[in-house]
Order: sequence, then C-alpha cells, then structure tokens
Amino acid sequence: MRRIIKPFITAIFVMLLAGCANTKLISDVDPQVDISKMKSFHVVKFEKDNRGIEKLIANKLNSMGLDASSGTNKTPSHPVDVIVEYQDKWMWDLTMYMLELNINFRDPETNYQFATGRSFRTSLARKSPEEMVDEVLNDIFRANKVVSQ
Amino acid sequence: MRLFKYSIALLCLSFLTGCAVGNQYDYQQADVSLPIKGTDKVSLGVIDNRSYVINGDKSANFIGLQRGGFGNPFEVTTSSGKPLTEDMSDVLERSLVQSGFQVNKLYFSSPDTSMVANVIKNNGQQKNIILTVSEWKTDVMMNIALIYDLELQVKDQEGREIASASARSTGKEKISGAGFQGQNSRVAVSAFETKVSRLFNNPAIVKALKD
Repeated sequence: MRRIIKPFITAIFVMLLAGCANTKLISDVDPQVDISKMKSFHVVKFEKDNRGIEKLIANKLNSMGLDASSGTNKTPSHPVDVIVEYQDKWMWDLTMYMLELNINFRDPETNYQFATGRSFRTSLARKSPEEMVDEVLNDIFRANKVVSQ
Repeated sequence: MRLFKYSIALLCLSFLTGCAVGNQYDYQQADVSLPIKGTDKVSLGVIDNRSYVINGDKSANFIGLQRGGFGNPFEVTTSSGKPLTEDMSDVLERSLVQSGFQVNKLYFSSPDTSMVANVIKNNGQQKNIILTVSEWKTDVMMNIALIYDLELQVKDQEGREIASASARSTGKEKISGAGFQGQNSRVAVSAFETKVSRLFNNPAIVKALKD
C-alpha cells in the first residue's frame, strides 16, 4: 500500500507546486496599426484599483519617451493618440500579490481596442506591480508587427 | 484504514472533477468596439460551421473544454444556454448599433452557400455582414488555449461577396493562465472581442462598409 501511496502523494504535491508557478505573458496588436507613430497616451484609472497602477503605467510610458497622462476621466482634457485601459487582479498568498495585469490600447475616436497585453503570474512567480507594468508594455511594443498596405 | 482509503478516493474524485464540471462562459457580456462608424441599414448573420456541431457530436451551445486534475475533459457551454452563434450575433448587433448602423438579423439553418445567398436575397439589405464560425473553443487546464477559425464577409443584396477577412489559430493559441470559471470566462470573452474587432478593421471590410 505504501508503495502506491508515496508516489501518489508526491505527484499531488508536484501538481500543486506547479500550479503555484504558472506564468503567461501574451500580447496581441492589430498589424494594421503602427503603435510607434503614437506619441500621446492617457491612462484611465481602473475604478476598482486603489493602488495607483494608472500612475505606474503613465510613468513607464513617459520613461519610454512618450507623453502620458493619467486620471479617472475616459476623455482627457487634451487630445491624445491612445486611450490606455487596464485591469489588475490581486490574490493573497501570505501577502497580497498581483496575479494578473491586462493593458489595452484604444482609439480615442471609435474606442476600437487595437492592442492588448496580459501578464499572469501565480504566487511563486510573482513580481512587483512596477515589473508587471514594465513587462506588459514592453511586450505590447515588441509585438507590434505592422503590415504594409 | 478504511477512512483513509475513503479520503484518498474522495481526494481523487475532487482532483478528477474539481472546479471543472458544468462551467459556463458568458459571451453576452462581450463588448466589441468596432473601428468603423456608419448610418446604413445592414443585415447581420452568424453561421455555425463547426463540424462537430453540424454532425451532432456537440450541442450548439458548446464552447470548449475545462480539464480536471488529470486532464480529463468536461464540456463548457454558454451561460445564456443559447447557441454560441446566437450569443455572438447578439453582441455584434449591439456593437453595430453603437457604431450607428441600423441592423436586421439574419438566421441560417445551415452553412450551405446557396442557402445563405437565398436568405440574403429574401431578407437582406444592400450590405450584409456574415460571420462564419468554423471553429471557436477554449481548452482550459493550467492555461487557457483558444482554437479558432473565423471568416467575416460583406455581401451584396444578391449574396455575392464584396469583401472578406479571416483569422485562424495555428494549433492551440495560449491566451492566458487559467483561473476559476469567472476569470476564464472573462479571458475567453475578451479574446472574442479582440479577434472579431480585428476582422472588422481589415481594410477591405472597412472600405466595403464605408462605401
């Protein structure tokens, strides 16, 4: 009986631990759109976010040489090339950590979502919000492969 | 010892089924922002061309698989209970109306092209937007994979194609890590929003709907 139970218990622990260290970084950008031509961004605060992630995103965009503002208004006071929306999801495992961050780029006129990036990190693979913002934005800009028309 | 065996059996059962049984995703929640504006009257139809639905292997509200602890699959269905294509049609109707179009919906009992053309001739408008779903399903275990094959066509009132755009996955496209039902549903719905709005942003489709 022990010979059966030991590997079984081990397999369950391996599965549980594997579940704790799952990561995914995925971006999808419309090839008809050239993000590199877009210079001004407005990050709309996610209403459920009380950690100021909108400021982290705007700071990152500014550090990339772009002009980014942030706020609660969906329509900024000044015209911009891109409206940035995001959703952050947090979980608790000894401490709170960011499980998932989605960032979307939208056309200010039509609201068309032309770029989306998502980072998903379970507890053992957790990163700080700053690092999650960095990796999603870097991945979105990297994923932009424009199709010549 | 009997209690121990019983506990192990229960544990096995929970791993085999876990949160995997009876999952439903709410595609009615989708909000597809289209890259175009218009005021024309258009017709809209979504055709279910999934082989396993046509041959009766799966019901029309089948939308994918949720796997248990050992990879054992359980079917995921639409929250509305409606066929997937009806959910998609409702969502696209809302989106087109939001973009200014006047929409009347078309219903197709089969994907047969001559039947589609007949429906358009009898009930269509000058511009008819047809989305053919040859594949759309998620496969969820540790990650969420999407398998899809979509074609968007704009047809004239005779059912002739004016423009088309298509998108299909090469194998299983991983779109996120997996969570509980609600989270997986949001990811699947968001993938639908993205894939369909991309088709509408194809230059040929934009031109056909603007002209």
